[in-house]
Amino acid sequence: MELVFALGLIAFKVALLIAILLLLPLPLTWLERKIAGHMQQRMGPMRVGWHGLLQPVADGIKLLTKEDHIPAEADRFLFKLAPILALTPPFVVFVAIPFGESVSVLGAEITLYVSNMNVALLFVFAVIGIEVYGVIFGGWAANSKYAVLGSLRTCAQMISYEIPMGFAVIGVVMLAQSMSLLEIVRAQADVWNIVYQPVGFFVFFVAGLAEAQRIPFDLAEAEGDLGAGFHTEYSGIRFAFFMVSEYAIMLLVSVLSVILFFGGWNGVLIPLPPLLWFVLKVAFFLYVFMWFRFTFPRYRYDQLMAIGWKVLLPLSLANIIITGVAFL
Amino acid sequence: MSRAVDRSGTWIGWAFFADLGDALALTFSYMFSRSVTMQYPDQEKWLPYSRYRGHHFLKRDEEGEIKCVACELCARICPCDCIEVIPYEDEKGNRRPAKFEIDMARCLFCGLCEDACPADAIALGQQYEFSSFSSRDLVVGRDDLLGKPGKATTGGGVVAARLNTEQDVLVETSEPQGYDWWQNIRRT
Repeated sequence: MELVFALGLIAFKVALLIAILLLLPLPLTWLERKIAGHMQQRMGPMRVGWHGLLQPVADGIKLLTKEDHIPAEADRFLFKLAPILALTPPFVVFVAIPFGESVSVLGAEITLYVSNMNVALLFVFAVIGIEVYGVIFGGWAANSKYAVLGSLRTCAQMISYEIPMGFAVIGVVMLAQSMSLLEIVRAQADVWNIVYQPVGFFVFFVAGLAEAQRIPFDLAEAEGDLGAGFHTEYSGIRFAFFMVSEYAIMLLVSVLSVILFFGGWNGVLIPLPPLLWFVLKVAFFLYVFMWFRFTFPRYRYDQLMAIGWKVLLPLSLANIIITGVAFL
Repeated sequence: MSRAVDRSGTWIGWAFFADLGDALALTFSYMFSRSVTMQYPDQEKWLPYSRYRGHHFLKRDEEGEIKCVACELCARICPCDCIEVIPYEDEKGNRRPAKFEIDMARCLFCGLCEDACPADAIALGQQYEFSSFSSRDLVVGRDDLLGKPGKATTGGGVVAARLNTEQDVLVETSEPQGYDWWQNIRRT
């Protein structure tokens, strides 16, 4: 009985998580277009629903009913595999992400995470690395020059940001003495890591922008020079998969920034429910992503690699050494 | 903008990305500025200037008679051949148009008919909302042309408007004057 209840709870949590992750891109696309519009003194979507609120639904219906086109010269197996490969890892990663300590519902304590791994951070970085395969395969399988250029850029870009990103979080692990995200948040109950690790956060966030393939590092899908980059040849539901994956990773980087550097669900000054604090912080980072997108131009990819290897990597290494000397 | 250059010129500004920070501050302040988008059929409508060349109209003289003398000069000068005039002699012995048809679907609104008219009878007015589902409806006859609105007296302003689709598509306005749209828009 106990086991059935526990399994049922896990299944419910996973289902809830999947539902939230699949539905969240809808408000996020709306928000992104609204923010883009207002930053450029436009209105953004206005006509479908109140202030265009139903626009993402209309777009979704449009994508679902469109022809699912596979180019004649494409590698059909890889072409079909790539969107799934891009979509799955961001969803899998959220298994390891804690959203709070626990809440009591009907007398039972329910934890706000699916699993509390002791190597959660490692798991997150390992799984999210697989997502890049979706992008690379997608670009390769389409057999189109723009797509393959996009995926070549992704390969080059990935190596230059994954390493500084991994090094940047080592400082956090050293402070918390644990790789469990739950322990990392608990260690920040008094002082957030951003106070001790501003350089680490800077490196993590810049690398995170590259990870989420957002401007200023959206080289793989640079609209201006590559058509649409790796997903040039995709249409309909497969294109929607790539978009959902992109938003899930954007959400993941925001969530990780909050958990690793901004105290997770620990509040400051104003006593709000922990989950609300968490959501507010994540929402702020999502806004920052969109804010950056409509402020900065795109870096050239040699510039991105110069930033990755010559700035972020030395900075993250120095951060590890200084953290080690000061705290151990 | 010059502030960014000044501060990022020093090494401290360079180290802390003063230029990027200024860019972010600029876009953030723009986010809360008024949008330039004129929500045309729903909320606002632009009033044309008096020089605007819109839908044609035919004028009447002081006695209420149609000014047109059916000389057909407008039909002759029309570059897209969209005016058809058939003259007749009315009871006072004046030459008047029995038929005066303009095919708005073919008209390019050049205003040459207005220039050519020796009797100052035809002009291009202020109306610009006459789209139609059928090109047949765009052939406008003499009596319709007499009823069309004339030249605008004021223009360039923006008035509140409301889209009415109950029986026909209509953009209703109330005020004649309008306000300067750009007075509220941030332009630096």
